[in-house]
Amino acid sequence: MAVPQRSSGSRFTLAILLLTSVTLISLDARGYEPLANLRKASTAIIQPFRNIASTVFDPVADAWESLSEGDTLEKENALLREQLSELLEYRVTTEGAVEELAALRTQLDLENLGGHETIVAEITARSVSNFDPYIIEIGKGTQSGIREGMAVVSVGGLIGRIEDPGLRSSRVRLITDPNVNVGVLAVGTNEIGILSGGGVGQPLKVSDGIPVSTDVEIGSIMVTSGSERSPYPGGFAVGTILEIIVDEINLEKELVVAPTGQLENLEFVTVILYQPANSDSGGGLQ
Amino acid sequence: MTFLRIVKAGVVLITLLILQLELFASIRFFGVMPEIMLGAAVVSGWHGGPTDGAILGFSSGFLVDLYLASPMGLSALSYALIGYLVGIISELIAEDVERIVRTVISLVGIILGLVTFVLFGELIAEPNLYNKNFGKILVVGGLYTGLFIPVLHFLLEWVFHQSNYRNNQIAMARVQRN
Repeated sequence: MAVPQRSSGSRFTLAILLLTSVTLISLDARGYEPLANLRKASTAIIQPFRNIASTVFDPVADAWESLSEGDTLEKENALLREQLSELLEYRVTTEGAVEELAALRTQLDLENLGGHETIVAEITARSVSNFDPYIIEIGKGTQSGIREGMAVVSVGGLIGRIEDPGLRSSRVRLITDPNVNVGVLAVGTNEIGILSGGGVGQPLKVSDGIPVSTDVEIGSIMVTSGSERSPYPGGFAVGTILEIIVDEINLEKELVVAPTGQLENLEFVTVILYQPANSDSGGGLQ
Repeated sequence: MTFLRIVKAGVVLITLLILQLELFASIRFFGVMPEIMLGAAVVSGWHGGPTDGAILGFSSGFLVDLYLASPMGLSALSYALIGYLVGIISELIAEDVERIVRTVISLVGIILGLVTFVLFGELIAEPNLYNKNFGKILVVGGLYTGLFIPVLHFLLEWVFHQSNYRNNQIAMARVQRN
């Protein structure tokens, strides 16, 4: 079979494009500021068009969601009712514990989030990728005082942190991401453990930092530690302990934790406008 | 590429991007959305050949990269390669080949694009790309995107409206060499 001769031009073009891509990847990995600004600028430019499209397509998306997820919503509703009754029961049985009461107040009363300034933001988009389901987009950005790493809560507790805030929009990285770490402690204890995500629909895990001697119980609430290195203020509910596994070798307790924050079917979230004194919030949460 | 083609390609890609972000991200089958921009890269290869396929693939991937949490340039790299590869295939196969063959090649191109994206992502230690849903994303994402291939052909035919002429030239050159 005779193969048509390709000009070296196409190969040269491809080589240039690949080189450009690799350069972009490399620069982005190093946190090259102009690229971050380009992202922010492009987001800002296209946002009005996205808003128009959103107005047009939202009814279609809602109709699709109600068609495809009707059963899921019913199950979720039943599960939430069950969890709510468990929490209410738990609250009654632990009356008198001041710390736990404070944690429940944090969990239930979104108007009073430890005295920190907050801002409510509408969720404008879910994950726009097949490969990263741990992202949501909100319609507020740096113009509203939002900064990288700030805590994001929904009804029930912490759900994520701000990532790449733009002028009028920001991404929220959810705590279900296995690469996210949050410094937590069980209410009534002082031992700080590292909580990490377990994936979509999976419980969270605290696999490091809780010694065997620590007195934790199933049903106890885990809250943000508020330690010096943490980007979060302390005392925000993160989850309730579902299971305690004792690691005999490392003499630590591994905790399986159900997130208390509502992660599904959200319309609005609250961003805590809090930055620690040394606000160098890099990779994972602490 | 002429200036007019660049403008047309820009209009098509930005429209597809907005559709991907605002419509298709919400309309998922089994939790998987179609990769419309990757589909555009594949179809660009059919219509524009290797050079224009690579350029449009790169542009399409770059636009997606602006809105993803993954490193900028990762989609651009994968989509440019796929656009180029499909462009080469479009030159190699006969003009009158069955439509089903072209469709299958397009689907394989989409799946290959997803694999390339994840492979390069893993090479640079990007988290979350390879996960337990990878197989599902490949199959459902490939087929779901495949549904939009005719529409993408229509749109990119508009961008490269001289593509038939160009393909005829390639076919004629092939005959002359034989």
